[in-house]
Amino acid sequence: MLYLRLVRGYRIADLGRWLLTAGAAAAVAALLLRALGRALGEPSGASVVRLLWCLPPLAAVGWFAAVAARALPTARPERITGLTAAGAGPSSIRTLIAGEIALACALGSGLTLLAFLVLRNDIAGASLAPAVGLGLPLPAAAPVTLLFLVPLAAGASAAAAVRVADALPGQPELPHRTGFGFGALRLALPTGLVLIGLALELYGLRPGAAQDGRPVDLPAGLGTTSTAALLGWAFAALGLALLTAPLLAWGGRLLALGRPTPLRLLAARGLTAEAPRLGAPLAVLALSLSAGLAAVRYWARRPGTVEAVPAVEAALIVGCAVAAVLIRAAQIRNSRRSVTAALLQLGAAPRLLLGAAVLRTAAAGTVLLVTGGLTAALAAGALR
Amino acid sequence: MSAAPPDNDVLWARGIVKSHHGTPALRGVSIGVRDGEVLAITGPRGSGKSTLLGCLSALLPVDDGEVWFNSAPVHTLTRAGRERLRRDRFGFVGSEPHLVPELTARENVALPLLLAGAGHKAAYGSATEWLERLDVADCATRRPGELVQSQRQRIAVARALAPLPPVVFADDPTAPLHREAQDQVLRILVTAARSHQLTLVLATHEPELARFADRTVALVDGRLATPVAPVPRGASPVSAGR
Repeated sequence: MLYLRLVRGYRIADLGRWLLTAGAAAAVAALLLRALGRALGEPSGASVVRLLWCLPPLAAVGWFAAVAARALPTARPERITGLTAAGAGPSSIRTLIAGEIALACALGSGLTLLAFLVLRNDIAGASLAPAVGLGLPLPAAAPVTLLFLVPLAAGASAAAAVRVADALPGQPELPHRTGFGFGALRLALPTGLVLIGLALELYGLRPGAAQDGRPVDLPAGLGTTSTAALLGWAFAALGLALLTAPLLAWGGRLLALGRPTPLRLLAARGLTAEAPRLGAPLAVLALSLSAGLAAVRYWARRPGTVEAVPAVEAALIVGCAVAAVLIRAAQIRNSRRSVTAALLQLGAAPRLLLGAAVLRTAAAGTVLLVTGGLTAALAAGALR
Repeated sequence: MSAAPPDNDVLWARGIVKSHHGTPALRGVSIGVRDGEVLAITGPRGSGKSTLLGCLSALLPVDDGEVWFNSAPVHTLTRAGRERLRRDRFGFVGSEPHLVPELTARENVALPLLLAGAGHKAAYGSATEWLERLDVADCATRRPGELVQSQRQRIAVARALAPLPPVVFADDPTAPLHREAQDQVLRILVTAARSHQLTLVLATHEPELARFADRTVALVDGRLATPVAPVPRGASPVSAGR
């Protein structure tokens, strides 16, 4: 209970993250309970599939929780120092962070359960009745079990994400793994995957391929596509995701070519150094955003195919991915406080540092545009 | 109206008061630094050495009092003016190297020169030269993360000296070093200052390192320590009771 008092020291950013976690958890809980409500009415194989489709949003919340948990110690190093002085070790700090995130998720899912129970109480209209299983007996264990899933998944991924080195007092360690270690191999392997995927997709989309006769039914009213095109897209998307971090690192090297000015030097080297930390969230964002955009394009061309639930799921996943990128960017900024202070002491103008940050962001945005754009184009091609 | 500083003082402060969020650090310190001298500021931890260096080097604005550099007021400068002054006139070595982790040793040393607008070739040439002088030329293309602390500190010293600023501030520069390295780094710092007629303001909590300096001032609890007059034996009631 003592730990809960730490909430008193929360700032706007902490509160925002907490509310975002609770909101995302509430949305996932709503999807899970909807699957349950439908299953009450028609227990069949379709209800299992419906439940399984709740996994991607759950994974997105877990991903967001992991990124947020990793960023927490660097955001407030003085808090870690204070907790350690009070006798908390790295494992209890990790438990505290995971517990806090799990608590936010529990609160969100609890609110959803409350809404679900209220709706079941003859309030739901005709359109919502099947989703909440109106008039059907509800086994008490089912919603409780389902709702434990969200805090459990988020808390576990948060606990796994906090590193022991970060939960120790002192200067937040700058990561030992930087993008300078990315050799040509790190570029070549994912590029091979992308090329294989491209070839497969082109094969799947060749003229006359429509008569293949073994189309794959896509969920969420996205029609059908051929196995080759789907596999090709999956390969290419995986390759492009793996390519994000090396591309960032090499983009930084490219930016520092020739005789760089201080602005270009700082921006480029910073980008290369932070490539491993920035790569993963950007890759997830590119993947989710491009898949979402391709789906939206498909729905927009065929009015009437759009369904509410997949649209909500997609929005939730993209939202979590965007929030994860923002949190990671804030984490990088926080862990570089001492570097910024040193540069200011050297007499570097804040405008120069801001310019370097803008240039770095623009370069990272270009990489995101390339990988995300290619993934989106290939997805759009596979959807037709 | 304030009196102009004495002519031979390159840096001059009068009655500076500074507190960090209410914690007093300096309570009225007046000090003059002569052109080309090596001045040691000694004092235990928490005596305000770092804050004094911060105020003198235009890193921290003073709460009260005056700081003058080359007969020009520093305490009235804007933030941008202080930045320009630090970049063009002052060098700084801290007790931690504080190198930019993603830059190589040579780039770190060349950075202040590049920031001051020096050409690429001149900046990197001078950086290589200073790395050689400080015995870390073999680290030129490596990044701080791959180096040991004493190498990093030498690179930090090279970074402060490379632009040949008129005044170099060293805030406990030997704190992270072993004894033999301490002497060597200090000797290099002092030799460089003397051979290039730089003024060196050196803060240290180890009084024996002050032997490198031309002049020493002691700081205690945010004030300059006044030389204590010898107390006659038996005069104090405490010692009389023993």
